[in-house]
Amino acid sequence: MSECIVITSGKGGVGKTTTSANLAVSLALSGKTVVVVDADIGLRNLDVILGLENRIVYDLVQVIEGECKLKQALIRDKRVPGLYMLPAAQTRDKNAVSQDDMKRLVQDLKALHDYVIIDCPAGIEQGFKNSIAGADRAIIVTTPEVSAIRDADRIIGLVEAHELPEPDLIINRYRPGLVERGDMMNREDILEILAIPLIGIIPDHQDVIISSNRGCPAAFDENSVVGQAYRRVAARVQGHEVEIPSFETGNGLFNSFMKWMGLAPVREVV
Amino acid sequence: MRAFLQRVLGGKQGSKNEAKQRLKVLLIHDQVDLTQAQMEQMREEVVAVIRKYVEIDDSGVDFKLDRGESGVELAASVPVRRVHARAI
Ligand SMILES: Nc1ncnc2c1ncn2[C@@H]1O[C@H](COP(=O)(O)OP(=O)(O)OP(=O)(O)O)[C@@H](O)[C@H]1O
Ligand SMILES: [Mg+2]
Repeated sequence: MSECIVITSGKGGVGKTTTSANLAVSLALSGKTVVVVDADIGLRNLDVILGLENRIVYDLVQVIEGECKLKQALIRDKRVPGLYMLPAAQTRDKNAVSQDDMKRLVQDLKALHDYVIIDCPAGIEQGFKNSIAGADRAIIVTTPEVSAIRDADRIIGLVEAHELPEPDLIINRYRPGLVERGDMMNREDILEILAIPLIGIIPDHQDVIISSNRGCPAAFDENSVVGQAYRRVAARVQGHEVEIPSFETGNGLFNSFMKWMGLAPVREVV
Repeated sequence: MRAFLQRVLGGKQGSKNEAKQRLKVLLIHDQVDLTQAQMEQMREEVVAVIRKYVEIDDSGVDFKLDRGESGVELAASVPVRRVHARAI
């Protein structure tokens, strides 16, 4: 049975597009067929993160308006079997698409693929409503900051009001060094406030920037900590029980003391 | 090492506790949609009612919204100095 997952956050710039791309790649690498949809109409972004910007012919709005067939607009990623992208329109605005249009589109995509991942725009307006219209479940992305968590709380309420099941949470841009110093909320702090299941923690890491420069999501790189973190998210999405590490630097109070005493193994710093 | 010593010797606490406290208050007020001023007014009105029956210690009144098991809860703690005879 196919499933449509919307990646949303409320606040802008917290990592929805990064997450959509990496989750889609990870699911495809695990043998599923996936289509990732850029629902940020007017601010197309996913194409460059995936490095597929030069192959766009048609877009989501053209599909909805019947200017082309759905399959003509899907761009196949040649790096892994079963991965497709549906680009957003760059020159149209969000009102070109209705919630019913999106529901129909998602139904059609689910008939073709195991997973439909929707990269939701920031905010709680039309673009958000369209993005969740056809979704079966939601993943909320937040960073460990007051404003992002506040918006996440708001979005959780809206997702539940739309009769979607309880969403899952990804904590992005996690900085273990700051957490150990007490200058960043840790997973327990955030879960105490948001009270939804955690599905992944993604470290704040240069791999995200390097991979976006190259148009090649970190999930393709077996050695990348970010890639590994997203592949674990993909496993959990499919219902597999995998651990969610917190990327300790080993520089915390206790470890510093142990190291000072020459008693602790020095672990790699993320 | 300096950061380590600073902490052991009782340096200042990390900022995450502030973040967490501020968030908790923020989320409750986002949900309840009451301004700080309205909260203050509610507090005064409720305290005024209680004062009709018992003598209270104004400085010790604690009146706040909190996140409980079943959503937002209003918690009031009002220290009583003396119960007025006529109230009994
Ligand atoms: N884990 C991370 N480590 C380092 N940088 C990150 C991480 N996640 C996201 N970023 C950076 O943050 C920026 C925003 O990320 P992204 O575009 O994925 O966010 P978004 O939620 O889709 O934004 P928008 O709301 O504008 O659509 C990008 O420059 C990205 O490189
Ligand atoms: Mg985005």
